[in-house]
Amino acid sequence: MIDYRARFRSNLAIAACGLAAFAVVPFVANSGLMFLAGLVAINIVFGMSWNLLFSGAGLLSFGHAMFFGGGAYAMALVSLHWPGLPFLLGLAIGAGAGALIALVFGVIALRRASGVYFAVLTLVFSELIHLVITKTTFLGRNDGLVGIPRPTIETGLFTLDLTSATAYYYFIVVAMACAAFALWCFQNSPAGRLIQAIRQDNLRTAFLGTSIFGWQLTAFVLSGALAAFCGAVMVPFTQIASPEIAYWTVSTQPILFTLLGGAGNFWGPAVGAILFGAIDYGTRAMHGLSEITVGTLLLLVVLLIPGGLLGFLQHRRQKKRRKPTEPAPKRTEAQP
Amino acid sequence: MYDIGMTVFNGLAWAMATFLVAAGLTLIFGILHILNFAHGGFFMIGAYVSYSIMLGFGGGLPLWLYLVRAMAAGVVVGLLGWVVDKLVFRRLRDVEDAYSLIATYALLLICGGAVTLIWGLNYMGVMPPPALNSVIFLGDMFMPTYTIFIIFCGVAAFVGLELFISKTRTGRLIRVVAADPWMAQLLGLNVKRIYLVTVIVSFAMAGAAGGLLMPNQSLSPELGGIFLLQAFGVVILGGMGSIRGAFVAAIVLGLIESFGTYFFPQYPGIFFLLALGVILLLRPEGIMGKEQTA
Amino acid sequence: MAYKMNRRGVVAGLAATGLTAPFLNTRMAAAQSGPITLGVVTPLSGPVQLIGNFVRHGAEIGADYINSNGGVNGREIQLQFRDSKANPNDASVAARELIGAGTNLQLGTISSAVALAMGPLLQSEGGVVITSGAGTEKLNHENYNPHVFRVGDSPVSRNAGLVRHIVQSRPDIRKWGGIIPDHEYGRTTWKIFEATMRKAVPEMTGEEAVIAEPILVPYGSGDYRNYIQQAMRLDVDGIYTSVYGGDAVTLYQQAKPFGLFDKIDILLDSANEFLVATAMGDQTPAHWSGFHWYYEANKGNPLSDDLYASYVERTGDQYPMGWAAEAHAAIMAYAKAIEKTGGSTETADVIDALKGLSFDSATGMRHLRAEDNQAVKNAELAYIEPSSEAESGFEVTDYVSLDGENVVEPARPGEMLDLSAL
Repeated sequence: MIDYRARFRSNLAIAACGLAAFAVVPFVANSGLMFLAGLVAINIVFGMSWNLLFSGAGLLSFGHAMFFGGGAYAMALVSLHWPGLPFLLGLAIGAGAGALIALVFGVIALRRASGVYFAVLTLVFSELIHLVITKTTFLGRNDGLVGIPRPTIETGLFTLDLTSATAYYYFIVVAMACAAFALWCFQNSPAGRLIQAIRQDNLRTAFLGTSIFGWQLTAFVLSGALAAFCGAVMVPFTQIASPEIAYWTVSTQPILFTLLGGAGNFWGPAVGAILFGAIDYGTRAMHGLSEITVGTLLLLVVLLIPGGLLGFLQHRRQKKRRKPTEPAPKRTEAQP
Repeated sequence: MYDIGMTVFNGLAWAMATFLVAAGLTLIFGILHILNFAHGGFFMIGAYVSYSIMLGFGGGLPLWLYLVRAMAAGVVVGLLGWVVDKLVFRRLRDVEDAYSLIATYALLLICGGAVTLIWGLNYMGVMPPPALNSVIFLGDMFMPTYTIFIIFCGVAAFVGLELFISKTRTGRLIRVVAADPWMAQLLGLNVKRIYLVTVIVSFAMAGAAGGLLMPNQSLSPELGGIFLLQAFGVVILGGMGSIRGAFVAAIVLGLIESFGTYFFPQYPGIFFLLALGVILLLRPEGIMGKEQTA
Repeated sequence: MAYKMNRRGVVAGLAATGLTAPFLNTRMAAAQSGPITLGVVTPLSGPVQLIGNFVRHGAEIGADYINSNGGVNGREIQLQFRDSKANPNDASVAARELIGAGTNLQLGTISSAVALAMGPLLQSEGGVVITSGAGTEKLNHENYNPHVFRVGDSPVSRNAGLVRHIVQSRPDIRKWGGIIPDHEYGRTTWKIFEATMRKAVPEMTGEEAVIAEPILVPYGSGDYRNYIQQAMRLDVDGIYTSVYGGDAVTLYQQAKPFGLFDKIDILLDSANEFLVATAMGDQTPAHWSGFHWYYEANKGNPLSDDLYASYVERTGDQYPMGWAAEAHAAIMAYAKAIEKTGGSTETADVIDALKGLSFDSATGMRHLRAEDNQAVKNAELAYIEPSSEAESGFEVTDYVSLDGENVVEPARPGEMLDLSAL
């Protein structure tokens, strides 16, 4: 029996440490690094939204850019054309746009395709959405929508001014923490476990009278909404929604984060996104080497530690524990 | 009549160029069940290798030398395939689809980086050999000989691959392994070796395609991505690694793309994607379905 | 369990702090003495690195030139490079990081989306960017921002310049068609081409210009035969194209056997400079191309001669692209502006100095309009023909440099480009 309360506590502790680390960034780092940290925070949840599908429901999406881009463009449109609308409602519309795309696509595609076919279908549709964006004047075509304002939130009691990059950075950290928490709760709810059961044994779960399609669709819509939420939160930060954020290479990002960090772990995408941000930062002044560096690193991770970084660490710890010559487990645990 | 004829001709040119790239991709997909992102990258390397060989000879090559050069590019990239199988693909046999997709995506990045380092970023253009640099008039249609040659190459590649798979011993063994690797192992077949042969053949085809199509395209490190989505579409629409399916799919998509552009010139370059999406939704297992492996 | 995780988190947190400590804000360190640091945010990787390399060489040669001629009031210019990956997000990270480290004066932007994203960012963070040639007209029109300057051609001066020269030299050619990328840039260039043509032809000849619907071609495609076939059907004497880079090479390669270029009298290429010619050699179709900077047209100008000689010496490449001259001009503009401020590199002072600044560059004197931060500079174009004698397989047989005042549009910051005013 797994001790869920202990698990909850330890996850909470990890989250608290992570939040603390993000919270001190503006004090210790310059504005470029803070900006990068904000993007990384968004990427963490973006990666988690993908992993909800992959590790949760066993669906391989190669088109998460369509949700991310959908949410971003919805938010951009709302803030440019209806500036009077409350900001949080704008975010909800962004997330809703992603959910809607996921629902329409999921209803059509989930019944028909699985595995690599499903992955390629998502890739094709996401490319189509990217093309539609670049050809629609309303969406700014290739130049994108620029000059998106940052909001001030009126709560009635007080006014939250998020117009500065630093204030908005904190908003991102809080919003992403809430999203991650909600995701964790969902994955550990009966519904979340049921979806995982479907992944592990399709047939048996069906025998128990569960609608596999229904639950897969639920996971798909949730994942789409979450990815779109990330896109919607990002737009006021970068103040631009350009078609690049709906391009297929963006779809590879959450996959890279998850596999790098470890798909088997809730925090895998977080570790991967942070690592990726660090690599991005490290290669920023290199001439023409960043492609080959990223490629080699990824290949090494997939080939040598397919469980990702966290999977690798866990594996090593378990191996250590099993060794009979090792003294009491307490000492092993104390080692960082 | 002129327009229809030319549109069909151009559609076939699109289809056969894409099939030349997709043929090797289909082979690996059918046998190893890996959708190889890096295939475009190795196609590009084939084009560059063949460009380098050409520089050694100077311009204005005779046709036979052009063909030899493309074959040489095929051999070089085939050898790369041997290395990639030893280092990468061999380790991807038992992992989930996502991992092999990402591993091959990483390989694609490495290919792009390597080409930039070795050949630089400048655009390069190569014209077809003089023998293929003319036009044939058919009524009021005019067909560049090089384009006819590409269509011919596509058909030849298809026939050759079909014969290889169905008539040769190696080809039959490949089919056995594709159908049931476990059983093949029990029967005492060297499955590892057959996988290796498949990868080498697939890579060699990518390299040779690069050499053949080089006069069709500007050379730049972007080349790896240009045919990729097209070739993916053809492979998936063709069904699980079916060569015949990929051939038919290439023609179908090529004609749709061509006629789409003809009737709706204000929306260039989207019809192939649109058609791919719609057909896959109607027939998710592809044109040939799942049962017809290789 | 919880205790352990806590410990680990704290260690990680400390490590993260240690990691970030070197990047503390050093804004205060920027002073009125010591070297002047300029940030160059440009693509150093990916497909657009080709252009980024020209920007890099141009900026370095410009800085070397200033430094070996006594610097700016005796202060040396130093450059800090950052990879923009041609992506607004990466460019934002780089621009902010540089500003945080006290490098508020930047250059090197080449993509339109990045240039448009920079305005609001620099306004709130306090910085200036001089773009090396982002092609969107919005930059000095509806998305004008006082913190963004363009030392290169506006799309209007480039394309209107091309058209006016062609109409003057070949008034007999009135029937035009176009092959343009299905991209924002393609549409903008075509709008300007068409409007100028419709105006210039009647002025010159008294007859109307006949302009066919443009042929839109997809971006990054491997097959242009269907579009070439559309072009073959056109009844035109001249074709205008703004297809760029590798796409242009592929398009020309595939169009050649169809005989498209034999069918028309003039091929007018808006921006490829030597990109197509160096790729195709003696197979290059004869064409006019617009240039940011063509060194032969500026022979005798010491800045141009030095830029060309230094570029060839550094790279061994005989055909530098004009992007190098635009980055070079950005350095010249900053140097002149900082001289004017008396050494201050504060954002507000430099913006004041740049507005209305006249400075010398590889294409001669340029003037930055105070109203919309757009440079008025010569529009240059050259006629490239295949040649059996030249080693490269092509040669330039004609070129012109047109006075910028005659081809640039009136300054209308904040308003959309008015085509009727061209």
